[in-house]
Amino acid sequence: MPHREKIGAVLVVGAGVGGMRAAVDLAEAGLQVYLVEASSSLGGVVAQLGFMFPTHDCVLCRGTSDHGYGCTRPSITPALLDHSVHPNIHVMTLSEVVALDGLPGDFRVTILHKPRYVDVRKCINCGDCSEVCPVDLPDRFQTGFTTHKAAFKPAPRAIPNAYLIEKGHYCIDCRKCEEVCPTKAINLDEAETYEEIRVGAVILALGYRLYDPSRAAEYGYGRYPNVITSLQYERLASRSGPTEGIVLRPSDNQFPKRIAWLQCVGSRDKEHPYCSSICCMYATKEALLAKQRVPGVECEIFMMDERAFSKEYNAYYERARDEFGVKYTRCRVSGIKEDPKTHDLILDYQTEDGKLRESRFGLVVLSVGSEPPPKAKALAEKLGVDLNTYGFCETDKFEPLDTTRPGIFVCGAFATPKEIAETVIDASGAAARVMELLSGATRVAPSARPLPPERDITNEPRKVAVYVCECGQEVAGVVDVPAVVERARTLPDVVSAEHVQYACLPEGLDQIRESLRQSGANRVVVAACTPRTHEALFQQVLREVGLNPYLLEFVSIRDHCSWVHREDPAGATRKAHELIRVGVARARTLEPVHKVRGDFRRSAVVLGGGLAGMTAALAIADGGYDVYLVEKTDQLGGNLRHLYFTAEGPDPQRLLRQLVKDVECNPRIAVLKSSELVGFGGHVGNFRSVIATRKNGETVTQTISHGVLIVATGAKEYRGQQYLFGQDPRVITQLDLEKQIATSPDMAHSLNSIVMIQCVRGPEPQADYCSRTCCTNTLKNAIRIKQINPDCQIYVLYKDLITYGHREEFYTEARRRGVIFMRYDENERPSVRVVNEELQVVVREPILGERVILKPDVVALSMATVPADSNPQLARLLGVPLSREGFFMEAHLKLRPMDFIGEGIFLCGLAHYPKFIEESISHALATAGRALSILSKPTLELGGVVASVDESKCVACLTCVRTCPFDVPVVDPQRVGNGGIKGAAYIDPALCQGCGTCTAECPANAIQLAHYRDDQLALCDMDILGRWQVV
Amino acid sequence: MTQETVSAVSPATTQENAVEPFEPDITAFTCIYCGFMSADTAGALHFSYPANVKLLKLPCTGKVDVEYILKAFENGADGVYVVACPLGNCHHLEGNVRATKRVAYAKKLLDEIGLGGERVEIFYMSGGQGGAFAEAARTMTERIRKMGPNPLRKILNRC
Repeated sequence: MPHREKIGAVLVVGAGVGGMRAAVDLAEAGLQVYLVEASSSLGGVVAQLGFMFPTHDCVLCRGTSDHGYGCTRPSITPALLDHSVHPNIHVMTLSEVVALDGLPGDFRVTILHKPRYVDVRKCINCGDCSEVCPVDLPDRFQTGFTTHKAAFKPAPRAIPNAYLIEKGHYCIDCRKCEEVCPTKAINLDEAETYEEIRVGAVILALGYRLYDPSRAAEYGYGRYPNVITSLQYERLASRSGPTEGIVLRPSDNQFPKRIAWLQCVGSRDKEHPYCSSICCMYATKEALLAKQRVPGVECEIFMMDERAFSKEYNAYYERARDEFGVKYTRCRVSGIKEDPKTHDLILDYQTEDGKLRESRFGLVVLSVGSEPPPKAKALAEKLGVDLNTYGFCETDKFEPLDTTRPGIFVCGAFATPKEIAETVIDASGAAARVMELLSGATRVAPSARPLPPERDITNEPRKVAVYVCECGQEVAGVVDVPAVVERARTLPDVVSAEHVQYACLPEGLDQIRESLRQSGANRVVVAACTPRTHEALFQQVLREVGLNPYLLEFVSIRDHCSWVHREDPAGATRKAHELIRVGVARARTLEPVHKVRGDFRRSAVVLGGGLAGMTAALAIADGGYDVYLVEKTDQLGGNLRHLYFTAEGPDPQRLLRQLVKDVECNPRIAVLKSSELVGFGGHVGNFRSVIATRKNGETVTQTISHGVLIVATGAKEYRGQQYLFGQDPRVITQLDLEKQIATSPDMAHSLNSIVMIQCVRGPEPQADYCSRTCCTNTLKNAIRIKQINPDCQIYVLYKDLITYGHREEFYTEARRRGVIFMRYDENERPSVRVVNEELQVVVREPILGERVILKPDVVALSMATVPADSNPQLARLLGVPLSREGFFMEAHLKLRPMDFIGEGIFLCGLAHYPKFIEESISHALATAGRALSILSKPTLELGGVVASVDESKCVACLTCVRTCPFDVPVVDPQRVGNGGIKGAAYIDPALCQGCGTCTAECPANAIQLAHYRDDQLALCDMDILGRWQVV
Repeated sequence: MTQETVSAVSPATTQENAVEPFEPDITAFTCIYCGFMSADTAGALHFSYPANVKLLKLPCTGKVDVEYILKAFENGADGVYVVACPLGNCHHLEGNVRATKRVAYAKKLLDEIGLGGERVEIFYMSGGQGGAFAEAARTMTERIRKMGPNPLRKILNRC
C-alpha cells in the first residue's frame, strides 16, 4: 500500500502471557499498543499457575518484569506492574473488540468497554467496599475453593491494582460500597462505552479454555467432592492458593494418601480429536509437587502416551518416575465410582497386559484438555478470520502466525494447544510479523515523553523531603501520622516533612510536585503503601521535577505496617517512626543512577542459512535493517533441503526455493557462504564478529560490527549403526524413506511390508530426549505409502506416540488406513536381524505378551535429531551454555526461549531443540522480533543498577568470576589491579544482572552495586541496621 | 565488628538467663522478589504479625553480606533474619543458596562469640505466601524473646 499511511499502532487482543509478551516487544520497538482484555485483570491462565514444568519456577517471580525505574534485568515476561506500565502500552481490561474494518496498515477497530464501577486511578485497595458487600460469590481465581464478595479484587496482586464490582443479578444494589468508598472511586451507574481506535495491525492472543469435565458424567466431577480438575489442583499446590500450597482433600481437609491423575479428559476423544499438548507435563509436575508436599503420598498417572516432547521434559518425566516414584499406568480410565462413606474414589481399569484391576484413591485429578477460547467463533466472524475444524485459528504451515486475513496475526494457544514457552515464542514472532508490516510507520520512542533535563545535584547540600501518605484511614487510622511527620522533621538533612491525604491521587501528586519545587529538596522519602505497586509512580514524579528517579526512597508504612499491625497502633506508630528514620538515612546516601546511552550498530549477524536463519534474516531485513547471513556450507537451505513433503500438505521444496530466492535477492541481506564465526566480542549494540570464509582453497577473514546476533546453526539426523543401519541397505532412515517415496513413487508400489522403528538414538550415556518430529514424520510416510499402496503392511514400533496438538489427526488417519502400532518397552527394544538374506524384526507384542517376528522388505528408522558437532565450540566462542542434550541453552526455558542471558544474542530453530517447520519459522520470527525491538531503538541504554569493580582494590582472585551465577565477571589482563598487578576483574554493565552476589563475596570489598553500595546500607553514617532508634 | 568487641563478649556476660519479657528489635533482609513480595501479600491479606521487624529491601538475598548481619548485631539488633525465595527458585539462580551459606557462617560466628547463632535465621517462601511471612515474624519474635536482648546493647552502651 504505497499510498496509504501506515498506522504505528497495534491492537493485541488477550492479555495472557502471549498477549503481554507481544505487547512489550511491540512497545519496545516504538509502536503504540492497545492491549485489550475481556476479563478484569491481566495474566490469563498463567496467573493462576503456581509453578511451571519442568523448572518448578514460580511464575509469580519469573513472570514479573522489571522492578522499578530502569531495572537492568531484561523483562522476562511483561506482567506489567500498574504504574510501571510501558508508556507505549494502553491497557484496556473488561473490553472487547466489536467491529473491525480497513486494510493491513490501517484498520479501524471499535472497542466496547464494560463498566468496572471502580475508577482504577482512585482505588486505593483499602477493601472497604468488599467488607460492606453482602453478596458472596465463588472465587474464580481460586477455582471455587474460596468465595469473594461482589465488590472484590480478583487476586492480591491483580493488575490493574484495583477492586471491581461484579454487578450481576445477585447484586442487590444496596450501594453500600459506593457510600463507604473513601476516595469516591465507585460509580454504580457507570455505563458501557464504545471507543474507536486506529491500528496498523492486530494480534490475536485469545488463549484457550479448559474443558469443563462436568460435561462427562462418568468422572463424577461436581458430584464427588474429591474429584477435582488439574487447575483446581494447581491452585491447591500454589503458594498463593487457598492453602498456601498444602494439598488437602476437599471432602475432609485431610492429606490424601493416594492421588490419581486421569489424562486426556477432554483430549484425544471424539469431541476433541486432538492432543492438548500440555497435560502430560502438568500432571507430572503436579505429581512431583504432591511428592514434595504430602508426606508418603502415592501418585499414579493414568495415560495413553507420555508426551514429554520438549527440552529437558523427558529427563523431568524420568526423574518423576524413577527418583520420586510417580507411577505411570498406561490405560484410559473410563469412569470413577465413589465410596459414599469415605468419599474415596474407586477406579476400575485394564492394565496393558489386559488384566482388570480396581484401585482406591483419596483424590482424583482430571487432566482437562484445552478447547478453543470462549467467544472465539463470534470474534473470528467479526474480524473475518477463519477457524479450523477444531475451532482454533486457521493458519498455514509455512505462515504459522498469520491468520487468513492479512494484517491480523495470531499467537499462542488460540492457534493450537501449546505451553508457555511456545506461546512466548509465538508472541515475539507475531510481533516481528507486525514490525515487518509496519516498517516505516511512525514510531514513538518509549522514553519520548517530554521531561525537563535532570538537575545536577552534585554540589547541592543534602536536602531530604519526606511525604507521609495517610491513605485515608488506611494508614492514618492506625499510625499516628502527625507524630510521625513531626519526628521526621527533626531527622538530619530533612528540609520538609508533610502528610498527604492520598499521595497517589492527582491532588496528592500535585502537592508533592509543588512541594518539591518549593523546598528544592534533592532526596525524597515517600512513606506510603508499597514500592511494588507505586514506586514507579513516585519515581516518575521525581523525574518530572528534574530529579533522578533513584533519589527516591520508598518506605512501606501501609502494607508492611498499618495493615498488619491494626491491633497495635502504638507498635505500628513506633515502626513507622523507625522505617521513616531508616528511609531518611538511606535517602541521604542516594545518588543518581544513570544508564549509559549510546549509538550502536543497527545490523544483525545470523549464523546458519537453513530455514530458521533465512526466516530470521528476511524478517529483520523487511523490518528495515541490514543482515549478514553466515552459512557454513556452500548452499542455503540446511535440513529443509531434505524434506520433500509434509503431513499437512504444503510442499517444503517450494518453501525452500522461495526462501533462497528471497534471501539472495534481498538488498539488505549479505549472504556469506562457506563461512564460519571464528571470533566474537563486544556487547549488545556493538558486537564484533570475525567471519572466516573459504574460497578457492584459501581462508579469508573479515570483522563485522553489528548490534545483534542470532544463532540458527541447526542440528542433524543421527546416523549411528543401530538396527543394522549402515550394514544392510534395506535398513534406512525415515528421511531416506521420504526421499525415496518422493522421488520414486514406484518404490512404495513394490513394498509388501515395512517396519518403522521409533526413538532410535545413540548408545546409553547420551541424554534421552524426544525429537518431537519423528512420530509425525513416520505417520506422514506411512500414510503416503498407504495412499499409494494400500496393501502394504506397515508396522510402527514405538515407545510413546507423540503427535501433539492437531497432529493427532495423522495418528487417527494412519490407524484408519490400517497401520499397525505396537508399543515396545524401553528395556526390551525390538531387534533387527538377517536370517538367510531375509530381514527380520523381533518385537514383543504387549497384548499377547509374545515375541513376534516381522519380515519386512524395508526397515525405516526414526533417527533422533542430534545437536550439531560444532555446538560446543560455538558455545565457547559466544560464552553461552549448552543444555544437557547438547543443544544451546536459552536464558529461561519457559519465559525466554529465544534469548540467551547475554543481551542481544538470540537462538532459534533446531540449534535450540528439534522442531517442526512451522515451529522453526515461529522461533526464527521470535528472534527477529526481539532483534528488531533492539535495532529500532533511537539509542541503546546500558548499565543502571549494576556492579562495578574498583580496580585499585582488586587482586584478581577470581572470587567474583566463580561466584557470579551468570558468568559475567572476567579478569581482564589489560586492567591494572591492586599494587599495580597485571589484571583486574571487569564486569560488563551490559551483561550484569544486578543481583549483587559478587559484592557480598569479594574479599577485598572491591565490588559495589550501584544504589546498594555498602555505605548506602550497612556502613551508612546514620545506622540503618540493628537497634531501632525510636523514643 | 572489631576484635575488641568480639573479646568483650565473653560467654559469661551473656548468661543472664532470667529474661524479662521484652520487645525485640529485629532486622530482616529480603530480596525484592519473593521476600519483599511475601510481606506485601501478608499486607494485602491483613495477616498480622509483631510490629518489631524492619525490612531491608535488596535486589537479591545473594547481596546479604555476612558483614551486614554482623553489623546489625553490632548496632544492637536482637535478631536478624533473611527472607529468600524457595531454594531452587531464586530469581538470580542461586543467590538464596549463597545467603544460606552466609547465614550458616554468621550463626557459627555468633555462637563463637556467645551471642547465640539462633539469633539469625533464613526463611524461604514464595511471594504468594503471606501467611508464611507472618509466621516467620512470629517464630523469630518468640525465639528472640526467649533468648533475651542482644547482650551487646549493654556493653556498647547503646540502649
